[in-house]
Amino acid sequence: MRRPEETALAHRPPLDQVLARRRVVCCVGSGGVGKTTTAAALALRAAVAGKRALVLTIDPARRLANSLGLKALGNRETRIDDDLFRGAGLKPRGEMYAMMLDLKLTWDELVQRQAPTPDRARQILDNRLYQKLSTAMAGSLEYMAMEKVDELHSSGRFDVVVLDTPPTANALDFLRAPDRILDVLDNDAMRVVLGPLLKASRIGLKLFALPTSLVLRTLAKFTGQDFLRDLAQFMVAFEGMYAGFKERAAKVKRLLSGAETAFVLVTTPNPLTIEDALFFHRALREDGINTAALVVNRVQRDPKRLGGPESVPALREALQLAQIADGGDPALSQRLARTLVEQSTLADLDRRHVEELSRTVPDVPLYLVPRLRKDVHDLAGLWQIDQCLAASED
Amino acid sequence: MQEPVPDARAGLLDRRLIVVTGKGGTGKTTLSAALALAASRRGKRVLVCEVTARERVSELFGRPPSGPQIRELLPNLYSVHVRPAEAMREYALMILRYETLYNLVFENRVVRYFLVAAPSLAEIVMLGKVWWHAARETERGRPRWDLVVLDAPATGHGLTLLTVPDVFLSIVSEGPLARDMRDMQGLLKDPARCRTCIATLPEEMPANEAIELHRALGQHGLPQGALFLNGVFEPRFTPQERTLVARGGPLLAAAADAAESHEARADLAVRYERLLREQVRLPLVTVPYMFDRTFGTQAIEKVARAVEAIL
Repeated sequence: MRRPEETALAHRPPLDQVLARRRVVCCVGSGGVGKTTTAAALALRAAVAGKRALVLTIDPARRLANSLGLKALGNRETRIDDDLFRGAGLKPRGEMYAMMLDLKLTWDELVQRQAPTPDRARQILDNRLYQKLSTAMAGSLEYMAMEKVDELHSSGRFDVVVLDTPPTANALDFLRAPDRILDVLDNDAMRVVLGPLLKASRIGLKLFALPTSLVLRTLAKFTGQDFLRDLAQFMVAFEGMYAGFKERAAKVKRLLSGAETAFVLVTTPNPLTIEDALFFHRALREDGINTAALVVNRVQRDPKRLGGPESVPALREALQLAQIADGGDPALSQRLARTLVEQSTLADLDRRHVEELSRTVPDVPLYLVPRLRKDVHDLAGLWQIDQCLAASED
Repeated sequence: MQEPVPDARAGLLDRRLIVVTGKGGTGKTTLSAALALAASRRGKRVLVCEVTARERVSELFGRPPSGPQIRELLPNLYSVHVRPAEAMREYALMILRYETLYNLVFENRVVRYFLVAAPSLAEIVMLGKVWWHAARETERGRPRWDLVVLDAPATGHGLTLLTVPDVFLSIVSEGPLARDMRDMQGLLKDPARCRTCIATLPEEMPANEAIELHRALGQHGLPQGALFLNGVFEPRFTPQERTLVARGGPLLAAAADAAESHEARADLAVRYERLLREQVRLPLVTVPYMFDRTFGTQAIEKVARAVEAIL
């Protein structure tokens, strides 16, 4: 019987080939599947191969961040020190950089760039609603991540930018996030509702009386007037800036759907995360984007691949032959047999889920990374993942 | 500043509302179901509220989905799926009182747009609905539910949900919604009536997230119940046994590999349990790894027993 990995892996091209000419690589997947690690491993791989590679991450595990020297937030790239490479036994022909995205700062920078005058920028930055929106609004992080990728890509300082996308709670909205945010900022419907308030804000009137229209009155009942007033002020401050924002959003979208960009879906064999990955895959396809590769992390390897006895009596015999006392309670042979069954069960489940995944998306090359015995938190660990990704067999 | 550790444990199930949150995939739903089961076994009437996109609790008990209607899963154990659209409608109706007014305003295309755009409105109405269940009383003035268990969304989103009253009240201070939000805030912050529990796994990211969540909940003044470390592998082999079996030759290769895989995960469990005990001032409950990944009633039973053993 063919092992299922083989059916999935038999016809896949090497990952290096899949990503060869891409200048932007987006790692997408649900939270906790090892997206950050995968993104960092891909950047490392590119750096070792001679490229100037940057990994832009959102919320890395602390130890990985520390080991990459990513101590400070603040939207600036950090070059990974040569000593770190030497420590991991690597000699990169290129350079590797890492950066942590600061959501608030990216928004602020964008507003400052787009505002017609410093005064107007200040008005927006001081608005209470902006402060909430910029950090708390759904899609905000996604939008800013894309914005930053485009900025870094356009700067020409890097051959490849690898993005560790935010773990989206509401599935894959980041492609649509720019549109959604613009919808909120420049929304004709909202303008109609808020019409009288907008007028008042524009001429700087304080709103003492309740709004007059029934719809506004009812809304105010729900949200209070303060909120409506903040909203109106916010929208007025943003007036005239939409064109610039729209242009940028369109540019980002072109970059993401172009041939220079690759989307790598990251998952684990857990059915829940596979479900998310498939959802992402379909959402990308709806936007006319092909998934370049699927990376399945933490695949349990089956101990039974190594052969040998499995039953308690056979293990007892094997222990005897090796002159190991079958001690303890329960006896060592019993504990070994139970562990073999358990670990093999885990491998079996993983195998079935991976197989199902490869059947569902037969056209996407699949790369498996076995469950490693230690957490990955340094360059040596990342390099180990690269080796797994590059290996043609598991 | 912080309360002593043993206190939080006493009578966790005697609260009116238990909120379960933690990183995605850490077993929040299983834990919510298990807490509800344990409480129902003590003769309490329990309602589990699910607020995430897919309903799962009823399925865990082998029952059809409850949907937006409260349904009995087992004696004394009920569940309901709170969805934003329905919650919004019910909640708006409660405040506006008149269906025609609701239709006029909320079925208005323009307003619908606004509601989608208004930040956190979905969270507000969902939390409102849960609070309404928790605060509901029977005609005789007794609580309708002895305990409501809220299976909350994952960390970031879960924290957003729980702090929605704070955020809302910082923007809006008047109106019926603000009044309800103040009541909600009161319930969530009252240690006698409400506790938030954190689910985590013996892995780096979930463990760190649990620590951060613990701090964030503390900073927001949200009283906490217990920390549940799920998916724990117990050490099974002595270091000497590991060395001997590893050197045992090809006949023992598979057994050695299995033992090493097992112990690697047991090591992680030990390391992260130690870290969590250091960093999180809450009673810690370890729940063993469940080998059937299609968690069913059996798994819930096991978790419920682990919970009962310490509570």
